[in-house]
Amino acid sequence: MVTNKTKPMNIKQLQSAIHELKQAAVNDDSLVDQKHQTFLGKKGKFNLLAKKILDLPQADRKKAGQLLNQLKSELESILTQSVTSKTLQWIDLSIPGNKPLVGHLHPISQAIEEISRIFEKIGFTRVRYPEADWDWYAFEGLNMPPNHPARDEWETFFVDVPANPEYGKLVLIPHTSNGQVREMERLHGQPPIRMINIARCYRRQQDATHTQMFHQFEGLVVDKGINIQHLKGTLDHFASQFYGPGTKSRIRPFHFQFTEPSFEVDFSCHICQGTGKVGKNKCRFCKSGWHEVGGAGMVHPNVLKASGIDPAQYTGFAFGWGVERTYSLKDDLNIDDIRLIYSNQASFLTQF
Amino acid sequence: MNILIPHNWLLEHLETNANPSDIQRELSLAGPSVERITQDGGEAIYDIEVTTNRVDSMSVRGIAREAAVILNQAGFKSKLKPLSIPVPHETNVLRLPKIFNKPELCGRIICVILSHVQRTPTPDWMAKRLKQTGMNVHDCAIDITNYVTHELGHPCHAFDWDKLVATGGEIRVEEAKKGENFSTLDGETFTTVGGEVVFKNSQGRIIDLPSIKGTQNTSIDDQTQNVLLLMESIKAAKVRFASMTHAIRTTAAQLMEKNVDPHLAEPVLKRGIQLYQELCLAEVASPIFDEFHNSSPPRPVITPMVIFEKYLGIKLSQTAISTILINLGCQVQLDETKSNLVVQPPTFRPDLTIPADIVEEVARIYGYHNLPSQLMTTAIPTIYPKHTNFDLEEKAKIFLSLVGWQEVYTYSLVSKIQAEASGLAAGRHLKLQNPLTEDKVYLRRSLLPSLIEVLNQNPLEAHYSVFELANIYQPQTDNLPKEELILGLASHQTARQVRGAVEALLDYLYVDEYEFIPNQDQQITMIYASARGHQNKYKLGTLAIKSDLCLVELEWKKILAVANTHPQYQVVSSFPSVVEDLTFILQPDQSVGPIMQTIKLVSPLIANVAFVNQYEKNTTFRIGYHDPNHSLSSDQLKPIRQKLVKKVELTHSAKLVGKV
Repeated sequence: MVTNKTKPMNIKQLQSAIHELKQAAVNDDSLVDQKHQTFLGKKGKFNLLAKKILDLPQADRKKAGQLLNQLKSELESILTQSVTSKTLQWIDLSIPGNKPLVGHLHPISQAIEEISRIFEKIGFTRVRYPEADWDWYAFEGLNMPPNHPARDEWETFFVDVPANPEYGKLVLIPHTSNGQVREMERLHGQPPIRMINIARCYRRQQDATHTQMFHQFEGLVVDKGINIQHLKGTLDHFASQFYGPGTKSRIRPFHFQFTEPSFEVDFSCHICQGTGKVGKNKCRFCKSGWHEVGGAGMVHPNVLKASGIDPAQYTGFAFGWGVERTYSLKDDLNIDDIRLIYSNQASFLTQF
Repeated sequence: MNILIPHNWLLEHLETNANPSDIQRELSLAGPSVERITQDGGEAIYDIEVTTNRVDSMSVRGIAREAAVILNQAGFKSKLKPLSIPVPHETNVLRLPKIFNKPELCGRIICVILSHVQRTPTPDWMAKRLKQTGMNVHDCAIDITNYVTHELGHPCHAFDWDKLVATGGEIRVEEAKKGENFSTLDGETFTTVGGEVVFKNSQGRIIDLPSIKGTQNTSIDDQTQNVLLLMESIKAAKVRFASMTHAIRTTAAQLMEKNVDPHLAEPVLKRGIQLYQELCLAEVASPIFDEFHNSSPPRPVITPMVIFEKYLGIKLSQTAISTILINLGCQVQLDETKSNLVVQPPTFRPDLTIPADIVEEVARIYGYHNLPSQLMTTAIPTIYPKHTNFDLEEKAKIFLSLVGWQEVYTYSLVSKIQAEASGLAAGRHLKLQNPLTEDKVYLRRSLLPSLIEVLNQNPLEAHYSVFELANIYQPQTDNLPKEELILGLASHQTARQVRGAVEALLDYLYVDEYEFIPNQDQQITMIYASARGHQNKYKLGTLAIKSDLCLVELEWKKILAVANTHPQYQVVSSFPSVVEDLTFILQPDQSVGPIMQTIKLVSPLIANVAFVNQYEKNTTFRIGYHDPNHSLSSDQLKPIRQKLVKKVELTHSAKLVGKV
């Protein structure tokens, strides 16, 4: 019998032996039980290597012990990843998942949250003001005296209570612009003002694009040095955040009593990038390259004055749009009848 | 207001090399919005939205005037063609009516008599344009008035001169008293409310509703041979008042209530005369009567030069500014300080009254799209509204949705039946003065009837659980209604499941202490909670069972008062707890809640009591014993357990299953 006289060994050689052993364990594709025997069994490769610690100089043995301990736990983990048995319990992995029952936020809530966040990022404060408010806040304080023809655009609901001697009739707000007057009042006419007011609004009309109740969001910024460029910047920020990068805004002349100049706001169609064309065909989604979303303007000096802000010192802009309309222009959302939004049919809501 | 303009008609007033789609694009960017172009036999018809302040654009010529300036700025060749109308030859064949005007009611009256009016059919070219612009075709003598109104923008009226003479041959401009009657030319009768501006004869009979609609007794009809063509400028507010009061919303009224330039009356009259002569072979049978008060142009607008940069953020040269304003018909000069522009608007632009109006004119023609876009660099406000926490609202809504509840948005307006379903009489709700539909009349005072309706509308969704966070409206004398946010829940689930959802929500919002106090007889549970560090309890709301539905209403304001942003961490004891289940046989209809209360009070070492399940009368509780200072021994537990069982058996006539 040949005595296998062991040669002295140094720590480097041990390290390379450890490395080889690990590789062997990884590459060994036999079943886990057998692998265990091969590597971690009583006469397994690990134990054989561990015995060699005696071949090391006394000074290196402590280090070697650490290395070997580490190897052992590494081998254990390699083994747990190995095939456990060829007679595993059969599990059908093709069965569809068992989803927990979840509900859904209403699409209007989702839109409102998204809109709020977009404006909060650029320093707007979200507020809430009355939905049933005096004529003064809804119209007169906005430079719209009673019986003004401009009021025709707002098909207004009146509440059957005596008029307030100072503030006039009680109306259901036909727009969120009462928030402009109220916000300037809340801040005691002291800019800076950057407000986003989102509320239920009401108008006396009902068809595929109008429901008696709907939502608007209203922005108001007042400070020294605010100009049309800042309105454009704010609109562009919203457009690219809400509809995706590259979406642009555009303002065109319009008329509101409470802003001067006044604008109509359009967003570029995200399908055709504002060109109105997809290839050689007319864009099916927008027809002209742009979607009209709502109104905006530079706050009328009379509105600032009515709220105690000096128009010689301060300027501001405001905008107000329907949440439903803004949301329904989202890419491929395909809601063309806004009455669906308030149908509360499970078949509709559970898709959101 | 929208106006339809056929392209060829426009070209009679506008010389341009721009094509219809150029015109649509450029007008929409800098002036009235061309909403669409339709085609009629190869001709483009523009559908243009004109804003209420720009009644000067409500005509073919008005649009042409805007287009000339805008197209020029956009680099197209364009020019407004001069209006060439022949000067009529005035005669004195028929007698003009005697006109008694009140200048405070009517700024101008201009009229002429046309005799021998042939009742010829409307020529094809005119009929085509009337149809293209959405008007009916009658005969020439009638259609001329509509045609010139559309072309030039000032309504005009054709009286039957002979009928007018028969009423006395006088026109008195007066305010109607209450209770006077008149019949419009289509035979409809009205009674005045008082204050309408009317034309009366010498006997005080109404013979016209000027600027709105003619009356039967003087209007042109099939027999008319002599026409009095008349235009007047009734005070705009008066026109609006009468038109709105009687719901007579004619084109004339919709124009005249918006301050049509009285200067337009003369060219319109002359254009009318020209057409009557050419098409109806009429003869001018009188001089032109013209009483024109206050013909002065609008007041000049002193506009500081700095305001342009203030609004636009860029500097425009004085020449650039002046050129734009002059092209729009204004007269412009620098004042003696050289720092203000004195802008004299033309008579057709009474809407230009303040410097911001002048800025708008310059900016839109310069082109909004030519201005840079940037965010403001001013201070961010940090004074936030009190008593509002939108984040917490969102948090609660997301939580409920993720544990299986569907959020809904129902109308704040409800029917009478739904209003009363809240338990409050309809009279205790706010009611609309002018509802549109019967199902939306009252401002609701509870969300529950609406939520129940949603469940009923979804009969196939047996497990539908819905919630809404919305206002209810409580009337207050001499004040705005109180709007209170309510979190309402409605479900087909059992009361226990729904209560679990509410408990989980309160836990999620870190409400430390809450309590459900049932009223077994009324199947309703009051929900109370207290704020951290405070003793007093808020009533959050109720959980009730009604026709097999479980309904919850919580006042959001109260939830805000008891919710926290974070929990208070409790150090976990190093000593183990002992947990065991005990099952009791209960009396029929015995509530579980009080038994759990009893168990809790048996010993301070009973740390918690949980309900495990109930099978018929057998009810199992899980009791956790814990001593924060020691490990509990079985010797220590034994007397507590015995006391517990005895107490439950005695107090609630229950019987332990097994022995202790």
